[in-house]
Amino acid sequence: MNAHMPYNRQTSLLYTAARVAKNITSILDPDELLQQTVDIICDEFGFYYAGVFLVDASGQWTVLRAGRGEPGRQMIAEGHKLAIGGNSMIGAAVQQQQARIALDVGEEAVFFKNPHLPYTRSEMALPLVVYGEAIGALTVQSTEEAAFTQDDIAALQAMADQLAIAIHNANLHRKNQALLRQAERRSRLLRAANQVGKQVTSILDLDELLPTMVNTICEAYGFYYAGIFLVDDSGEWAVLRAGYGKAGEAMLAEKHRLKIGGTSMIGAAIALGEARIALDVGEERVHFKNPHLPHTRSEMALPLIIGNKVLGAVTVQSVEERAFTQDDITTLQTMVDHLAVAIQNAYNIQALKEAHAALLRTKVYEALTTATTEAIHWIGNKALPITTSVARIQEDVQRGEVDFESLQEDLEMIAESARLIMEVKEQLIGQAREQQPRPCMLTDIVQSAAIQRKIPSEMLEIETEVNTPLGLADSTQLTRAIGNLLQNALEADATHIRVHVHPAAEKDYVAVDIHDDGKGIPPEVQEKVWTTFYSDKGPDHHGLGLTAALHIVTQLQGQLSLESTPGEGTTLYLLLPVAQHLAAEDISTGARYILLLDDDDTWASFFGSTIVSAGKVLTHRTQGTQIDPQADLILVDEFQYATPIEEILQALQESGVAHKTIILTTSLNVERMTTYMKHGVKDVLLKPYTLAEISRVARS
Amino acid sequence: MFTILLVDDERLVRRSLEKTLLRAGFDVITAENCVTGLAAYRTARDEENSIDLAVLDLNIPNFEGQPAPHAGLELLSKLREQEPNLKVIVLTAYDEVNKAKDAVQRGATAYFVKGRESGLVELIQQLISK
Repeated sequence: MNAHMPYNRQTSLLYTAARVAKNITSILDPDELLQQTVDIICDEFGFYYAGVFLVDASGQWTVLRAGRGEPGRQMIAEGHKLAIGGNSMIGAAVQQQQARIALDVGEEAVFFKNPHLPYTRSEMALPLVVYGEAIGALTVQSTEEAAFTQDDIAALQAMADQLAIAIHNANLHRKNQALLRQAERRSRLLRAANQVGKQVTSILDLDELLPTMVNTICEAYGFYYAGIFLVDDSGEWAVLRAGYGKAGEAMLAEKHRLKIGGTSMIGAAIALGEARIALDVGEERVHFKNPHLPHTRSEMALPLIIGNKVLGAVTVQSVEERAFTQDDITTLQTMVDHLAVAIQNAYNIQALKEAHAALLRTKVYEALTTATTEAIHWIGNKALPITTSVARIQEDVQRGEVDFESLQEDLEMIAESARLIMEVKEQLIGQAREQQPRPCMLTDIVQSAAIQRKIPSEMLEIETEVNTPLGLADSTQLTRAIGNLLQNALEADATHIRVHVHPAAEKDYVAVDIHDDGKGIPPEVQEKVWTTFYSDKGPDHHGLGLTAALHIVTQLQGQLSLESTPGEGTTLYLLLPVAQHLAAEDISTGARYILLLDDDDTWASFFGSTIVSAGKVLTHRTQGTQIDPQADLILVDEFQYATPIEEILQALQESGVAHKTIILTTSLNVERMTTYMKHGVKDVLLKPYTLAEISRVARS
Repeated sequence: MFTILLVDDERLVRRSLEKTLLRAGFDVITAENCVTGLAAYRTARDEENSIDLAVLDLNIPNFEGQPAPHAGLELLSKLREQEPNLKVIVLTAYDEVNKAKDAVQRGATAYFVKGRESGLVELIQQLISK
């Protein structure tokens, strides 16, 4: 029933038209626009019902998109639609693009008797036309017969025209928004694809790469879940190797796996080697109803393929139906293809590692076998002269006919064999002895080792770069190791040995390069030189020197390698860690006047400047055995070129100052120490290389 | 008197075994590798002082002068080419069955392991008397 009096009607129509126009310009959401329009029409005109139908995508139907009150809500819920050109007023109005009016609906042939609107007596259907195209129609219904005046029709058609334009604009706005969202999403996906591209080339560990991949996919696309399955060794199962979020964690804990070729999408994708997409998983026959992922409505399974081989598959799931766009599918497939390459690379690296490990086991076994065989030969050969000599001596003794000349020869053979055996024992003891690393001046260790091995000074050239740090080493062991290396040079007929001590290219390492101009090592022998008991220098060599040096250096966390050219010589490269955190120390206490008997070398220079700068008096004697008895403390370097230690010991005894003498050595040795102590010296100490060590020596 | 050719690169082994064999009443010619071993055999033969038995270390420098694990067998083959009936004892520190088999197949009369020398003289006497 129309609540307004006729004289107010024109005013009301204008007012209503203005409100609709305001809505049209302010509301961009089409659903809200339509609902507000029908409500305003009914409220202002007092009509029984108003509704808006829009043409669907097929162009065959008009679908109710907004309706007044409960009848409208119910009809929308039922998906109420009317055929275009059918027998409804709406269908006719859209088809003909003309308003249809039934002032007494009982007289209108095309009226559809709608059970939701039983009181309708007048109805008007106004087409919504934009640019000559009918996009829908507006229905207005009244409970009064002949309810609509010409003014109503004109005013409402004007509103309908405005509404049609507004709907068109809102649709355009919605399309623009969708395009914008699509552009943003595409940009995000491209960034994600770029990120994945970097990850697959930089991460070789699958346990790191695969979780990163599922996280990237879910975060970039906003998907509910992503998981990566890999085919197991049996080829029968796809095992989950990475899963997104809590669901992923739970399934990984359960060791979730799917049968290949089974009813799951993953199983099917792997078996067929092709993508499977279910836009509503309820409709997908092969979908696996996973209790961990109850909200999945769309799922995509993309196989990981390299050549003809399927490595596994990636599942991507969304809570929305029909969630995957063509962009999604294209970019995801690209990512998955990259991932497949990365997985294959990881497999190849793993296979390479396993092959390397197997090779290493074989090599170790071969090395052990070779070492054992060589040891057996060596021991057998060294023992034979002893046993045969002993047998002869015993025979002579039993017969009571001792040939002294023969006896002496037998004893010499026994002694020599025993000496060789004892040398081996010494090398083995060196390796077994516990290391006591301390800061060491490597130049000094090299020089001491050279003197100990009786390498002439004119044959040895040591160059030390400035700012070369101290190395961290057990000086006793390192002297033995470097001595072995120098000995090898000597036995290779070298005439010159050049040693270069310098900061290593490797951070926190110090390097010692030992080059000789000897005969070099043939390439086929270079592989064997590190083998225990291997020697190509004849039966008088035990073949342990280089092996022992390697062992000692390795224990010191260092490295030892060699390069050799037959006829040109050999270079050994020794790397040792740098000694860090050298503490300052007060060395002003202890002996004031110190006499040092040593060569004029790097260590003596360092020691002298340190002592003098501490306010002490130092006399450094580089030649002869002249002893100043006034000295508080006499320090003697055990290994020096200028004067043999034996001569110095004798002079010390004769001068009566042995009791205030300390022998300094890079390499402590029980037998030598005992000898020195028997000469009455005060002590035998390791050579000091730091302020703290110098302080201890000065206070001794 | 029987003459023994003793080839071993270990100086002390060579000398000690030589002494033992001399004391047992044999003439002993020594050599330290394949080249000198073969040369010693030929020299003795040319001087009509034929070798009755050879004791060859398995692990000696080969005919190229390089240390080789089985060079004694190379010398064995060469000596057998010179004198197919020559009695040869292969001396080794390592008693490996396959090497012993190889030695026998090449014509070695016996295979003797170092460290068990007490039976060597008896073995030589036994082989020579056959």
